[in-house]
Amino acid sequence: MRSMAGTPRRHSLVWLQGLGCGAVVALVPAMALLLGVLLLPGVLAVLYDRQGGRPVARTVLLCGTAASVSPTLALWGAGNAMDAGLALLGDLRVVGTAWSAAAAGWLLAELAPVVTLVVLEAVTQTRAARLRAEREKLVAEWGFDS
Amino acid sequence: MANQPEVLIADRYAVLLAQPMPEAGGGLPAFAVKDRQSGDTALIAVQVRRDLPPRARALQNLAVPIDGVMTPLAYGPAPGPRGEAGYFVVCPAPPGPPLTGHLHPWPEAALIAHVLRPIALALEKLAARGVTHRAIRLDNVFAGQRGQSLVLGSAWAAPPAMHQPALFEPPYSAMCHPAGRGDGSIADDVYALGVLLLTLALGRLPLAELDDTAILRRKLELGTHGALVGDERLPPLIADLVRGMLAEDPEHRPTPTLLTDPGVARSRRVAARPPPRAQRALPVGSIAVWDSRTLAYAVATDAEQGIAALRSGATVQWLRRGLGDSALAAKVEDFVRHRTTEAPTEESKSDVMMLMRVVTAIDPLAPLCWRGVALWPDGLGPLLAVAAGDPAMTGNLEDLIGVEAAASWAMLRSERCDYSALRMEARQQRAWLGTRGPAGGLPRLTYLLNPLLPCASPLVADRWVGRLADVPAAVEAAIAANPKAVPLDPHLAAFTAARGDSRLETDTNALTGTRQNPVGIPELRLLAQLQLRYHPRPLPALAAWIAGASGPLVALWFNRPRRQELADRMRVLAQAGMLMPMLAALEDPAGRNADAAAARQAAAELSQLDAALGGIAAGAGQRRDTAARIGQEIAAGAGLAALATMILLAVLG
Repeated sequence: MRSMAGTPRRHSLVWLQGLGCGAVVALVPAMALLLGVLLLPGVLAVLYDRQGGRPVARTVLLCGTAASVSPTLALWGAGNAMDAGLALLGDLRVVGTAWSAAAAGWLLAELAPVVTLVVLEAVTQTRAARLRAEREKLVAEWGFDS
Repeated sequence: MANQPEVLIADRYAVLLAQPMPEAGGGLPAFAVKDRQSGDTALIAVQVRRDLPPRARALQNLAVPIDGVMTPLAYGPAPGPRGEAGYFVVCPAPPGPPLTGHLHPWPEAALIAHVLRPIALALEKLAARGVTHRAIRLDNVFAGQRGQSLVLGSAWAAPPAMHQPALFEPPYSAMCHPAGRGDGSIADDVYALGVLLLTLALGRLPLAELDDTAILRRKLELGTHGALVGDERLPPLIADLVRGMLAEDPEHRPTPTLLTDPGVARSRRVAARPPPRAQRALPVGSIAVWDSRTLAYAVATDAEQGIAALRSGATVQWLRRGLGDSALAAKVEDFVRHRTTEAPTEESKSDVMMLMRVVTAIDPLAPLCWRGVALWPDGLGPLLAVAAGDPAMTGNLEDLIGVEAAASWAMLRSERCDYSALRMEARQQRAWLGTRGPAGGLPRLTYLLNPLLPCASPLVADRWVGRLADVPAAVEAAIAANPKAVPLDPHLAAFTAARGDSRLETDTNALTGTRQNPVGIPELRLLAQLQLRYHPRPLPALAAWIAGASGPLVALWFNRPRRQELADRMRVLAQAGMLMPMLAALEDPAGRNADAAAARQAAAELSQLDAALGGIAAGAGQRRDTAARIGQEIAAGAGLAALATMILLAVLG
């Protein structure tokens, strides 16, 4: 029942996303092309990220989007002309920056849990050591079986 | 221990150990004595054997001297001639030699004037004080000075009648174990006096050629008068007196008061007929039985053969047909039948009980006969003391007390004894025997029944510990000599329980010491009480021993630092030698309660810590998930922040 109830909602979002993308492609094709290229690593991450909530894809998309704000505004300023869009795509700094940001997002999404785990383990082991010391003290003082 | 030339009794009488007087003690070792206050040297000290307790009641009741008897003047412990722990009873010295070596026929007048009257008078005075002599025999009756009256020797340094030969004892006493003859009655002294009179009248010992067993058998078969006097010619007055004094039934003998007037005493004639004799003998073991009293003796002394003879029906048949006593036969048959219909529990005890009843029925004068041992109930105490090293005898006596045999015996002859008193004593003895713990059982009963018996603990074997006041110093010396010894063994505990008051009895009943853990709080409490009451001086060796052995007591505390502190404190307190502070430190109820409460709290804390550590150990997966979630959130947050920053920068231009 839960899977049946959840499935239509996901489909409706996909339809909305498809509708939005279709509208962008129809109304501003240069913008759609530019965003499609700049956000390509994010799209690929969405496709390949199988974790719940797609945390890696989310970070990659956010970082890619952050790096795409400036080219998008530049294209918007150039009237969303296809030439301007192709010119921007031809500029390696624009594409490189966007893809590098996406890569940085991926790296961040991969490393942040590891670093967090290291920190968490360090805190836990410190607490365990303190508890063990307390226990040893109690055992020594009261002679309980260790 | 070095031999001393003299030792003091009661801080007054110097016992001259170098001057033994072998003939003065009536068979017991005796020594010359000098009174340091008056300078009197006409005294002797009779040495007591360690396992033969002196007669406490006689020593107590004879504080005032009696003419014609060597009454006790003082008594107490002192080292013996070989340096061993000894105990002496001081008496006046005998005025002359014992009669043993000077036997000759005495004329009638001398017998009356120097033997019968003075000794009867002495016995009368003894009886008035509730004491019997029970040691009238040739080696314990002494010649007076220059034709004066005879003097009875000391009879207080051993159990009553312990050293009496069968000749001077009535059959019902002679058949008993020497230590179990009991105080008896003054009639038994009259009997012995009768034998003495007869011996002196004849100028020789009757039946001298027979041993004690043969003399006893002869007395049973012929009656004492028939056995000892027979066809002997005696002066008429002496013959009449002896006939009465040697009566089988003590109630038929003249009293000492009556004997002081021989003319009246002789007029009380007593029939001295020999007991009825059967036409044929009944073999019981090695004895050919011809009469009923010998039958009782035979089945009493050889219990196994006696039981067999009774259960086979041969005895009843012999009584009925051989002896012609149908009434007695029916009575014995009843006892045997009653036994065979009893529940088959405690088979051997039931047989022994049946035998005891049969013996009492056949011979109402007979003592309590139990599995081959004959005794009078008031002789149980000394008999227990003597039997201490004999497990078989000890077991027999334990059974006897356990089934209250004395009460059953007294019920069968209630007209001859105080049944209710004996029943109460039997119950009391059974209760004492049943006391549990190291301080109970037979040792305790032995000490209770023998007020002057010294403690038999191996720990104090080199001392005469007869009072509780002697215990602390003796234990201190023993522990100082051998620190590996245990200061409170079962004998010492039983001795303390028997000699102590109700408070000490409570402490001794609480004793729980084991070989592995010899000193607990109850043991320490008892030792501390003994020191407090009887020896308020330091006992450093004992205290050091307790400090060393207090590990298990210290371990009762939970807190380890407190244990160490307590152990250190015990060592410090031990140096002072006082046990009460050590007890207080170990016992400390308030401290122990607080310690227990703190231990409970610590245990709870430990449980919490263990639970927390367990949670940490089991939470690795959860932490990994958490770290992943937080890391992803951080990454997303960083991405979002970058996006927001870029948008802001774009907006701001």
